[in-house]
Amino acid sequence: MRRGPWRVAVAGHSMEPTLREGDRVFVLPPRREPRVGEVVVLRDPRDAKRLLLKRVAAVGDGAVTVMGDRRDHSTDSRYFGDVPLTDVVGRAAFRYAPLGRAGRVRS
Amino acid sequence: MFGRLFKPPIVAYAHCDIPCGIYDPTPAKIAADTVAKMVEKINQLSPTATDVTTRANFVRMTVVKEEHAQICKKELEILWSDYFKPEHLEKYPKLHDTFWKAAKLCSKNKQNVDATAAAELQAAVKEISDMFWATKK
Repeated sequence: MRRGPWRVAVAGHSMEPTLREGDRVFVLPPRREPRVGEVVVLRDPRDAKRLLLKRVAAVGDGAVTVMGDRRDHSTDSRYFGDVPLTDVVGRAAFRYAPLGRAGRVRS
Repeated sequence: MFGRLFKPPIVAYAHCDIPCGIYDPTPAKIAADTVAKMVEKINQLSPTATDVTTRANFVRMTVVKEEHAQICKKELEILWSDYFKPEHLEKYPKLHDTFWKAAKLCSKNKQNVDATAAAELQAAVKEISDMFWATKK
């Protein structure tokens, strides 16, 4: 598990309008229990080498249900089911680029 | 300690498998079959008939043939540019050539009423379809 803030570049459109393709985001370590509404970085349940960005829709027993903000253009828990907390590797905290849209990633 | 700061950020996917994950050669096959069927039906029309019904059918069949030749090309291009990956090219070195020729056959079938060209298009689509399904095994 990474310590401290790290950075990701957003690819894809499922988190629009919150996050757009090419946005750069600071990621903090995950909370022990993610909060509903926050945007998390998780391992793709179908390909552990790949990271996904989705919003927490519900927190259950050791797992989260995640959804893209753009429901009609997102592959998320509706498709791959709940994701174990151990696969949640961070939470998106702050968009630092592009500068014009810099700001906190809101829950 | 600060080395990580200067590396490019890791990519995280806010992605969607749809429409980017569903590929199927069937629409191209249906389009190619439609082209062949329209050529067959056009050729069955009486070449000397001048009644309105025959003329209307001729126009309709021609329009459908041309539309489906175009649909076939579009469907093939989606498979070509979006589905097939460099690793497929290693296994099928003729991949680009096959698609290129198939796309040209779509144009040829749009322009002409040619049963041979229609059969060639069907064969080309089948070849692509076989490659596609082989990659799924």
